[in-house]
Amino acid sequence: MKSLEQVGKYFELLVRVFSKPERHSIYVRQVFNEIDNLGVNSVGIVTVISIFMGGIMTLQVAYNLQNPLLPIYLIGLGTRDTLILEFSSTILALIMAGKIGSNITSEIGSMKVTEQIDSLEIMGVNSASYLILPKIIAVVLMFPVLYIISVFFGLIGGLIVGPAVGAVTATDYLNGIQYLFNSYYVTYSLIKCLVFGFLISSISAFFGYTVEGGAFDVGTASTRAVVNTNIMILVWDLILTQLLF
Amino acid sequence: MIEVRNIYKSFENKDVLKNISKVFNEGETNLIIGRSGSGKTVLLKSIVGLHEVDQGQILYDGRDFTKMNPKLRKKLRQEMGMVFQGGALFDSLTVEENVRFPLDMFSEMSGVEKQKQVDFCLERVNIRDANKLYPSEISGGMQKRVAIARAIVLNPKYLFCDEPNSGLDPETSLVIDKLVRSITVDLKITTIINTHDMNSVMEIGDNILFISDGEMCWEGNRKEILHSTNQKLQEFVFANKQYQRIRDDKIKE
Repeated sequence: MKSLEQVGKYFELLVRVFSKPERHSIYVRQVFNEIDNLGVNSVGIVTVISIFMGGIMTLQVAYNLQNPLLPIYLIGLGTRDTLILEFSSTILALIMAGKIGSNITSEIGSMKVTEQIDSLEIMGVNSASYLILPKIIAVVLMFPVLYIISVFFGLIGGLIVGPAVGAVTATDYLNGIQYLFNSYYVTYSLIKCLVFGFLISSISAFFGYTVEGGAFDVGTASTRAVVNTNIMILVWDLILTQLLF
Repeated sequence: MIEVRNIYKSFENKDVLKNISKVFNEGETNLIIGRSGSGKTVLLKSIVGLHEVDQGQILYDGRDFTKMNPKLRKKLRQEMGMVFQGGALFDSLTVEENVRFPLDMFSEMSGVEKQKQVDFCLERVNIRDANKLYPSEISGGMQKRVAIARAIVLNPKYLFCDEPNSGLDPETSLVIDKLVRSITVDLKITTIINTHDMNSVMEIGDNILFISDGEMCWEGNRKEILHSTNQKLQEFVFANKQYQRIRDDKIKE
């Protein structure tokens, strides 16, 4: 019953978030600030994670394809498709729910418990829209960009690690990542990224905006936000995979 | 002028405000006093609409706030300024940006005019050379003064202060009290201050409402408080021996 109430409040908040902004120019400025804060600041961690995961994936695929009947270039193909289909969209979304999501929850939650949100309301500002809408737009816009960066650096990671440990030659790996490329896989993943970006930003914002109490409660809300976002990402991954294939 | 009529408010079946009625006058410092947990913050937040009242009316110069639709409320809120207990300045903005924020949101002024107004308000609260600092870089007293500057930047008709002196030393508290009073008188606005600071009561209490357990217990001004026979009020205001001595001296005079 309480969960249903939460869902109702979430949609109620979304209605407020998507109502007409007071001053468009300020919202546009906020969107650019959030793109920098939530998106550009995540490029570093996405790059590092993707290089390592690309390398690890190449090794895993190589160890599982140790069969003389299977062509060696399949290592590159396996790495590429894993990155494009699941890692750089879903797994990255789960990681970003921790980084971006907890950032959003703690920022908005802290504003709530220090009465900054009340202060906006008293001024006549729609605090839900002012604080949350730019974050949603920024994350939805930036997540596909992070996805592309992740795929690129994941493939680079494989190219570095595979030949370095002798699992695959650079030529075979490069042949593999170009073999039987299906561009729809990218389209499918980009659609997922848009949905995941929305889920990460809106669910995290909801938990921050509805926090009551003090610093301890903000911490609890951040944890709950990450857990709930992760569950919703996996649920929607399942739904979208069924719908789009 | 703000008038509250027969206000009731409860949370989860617990009555927090019971039949509160009071007129808060223009150009006077109206004080709501009471013990912690007596309901004064709920009353203030109900007056500004952060809590919805269960029953009763809140009239802003005759305009019934409780019956207004969200659009009208939003418009009326642009006539309000509020200073929160902790200042509630936006952490990510500098002092100047905090004060400028309501202007950016709602005024049609040019950049130069906005800057003039920001400088005027900061000057009014005696803040100098701190424009580019962030709230975390200034003292609690300065934060309160910046919050006052932000509250008055749109020339509000109504000013609300929730325990503006909490956490401040007596000297700074006096500065804040005098500042709020002079703004109230100069700008002829209706100011409501929530406080349990007895120095404020004695210094600026033009019109005082004492509430206890969510009920109106006494009303009057700082002079009348000395002669009041209300037992609860006497126990609250003169709990401190020093205040008892001051009261006795004043009565003798």
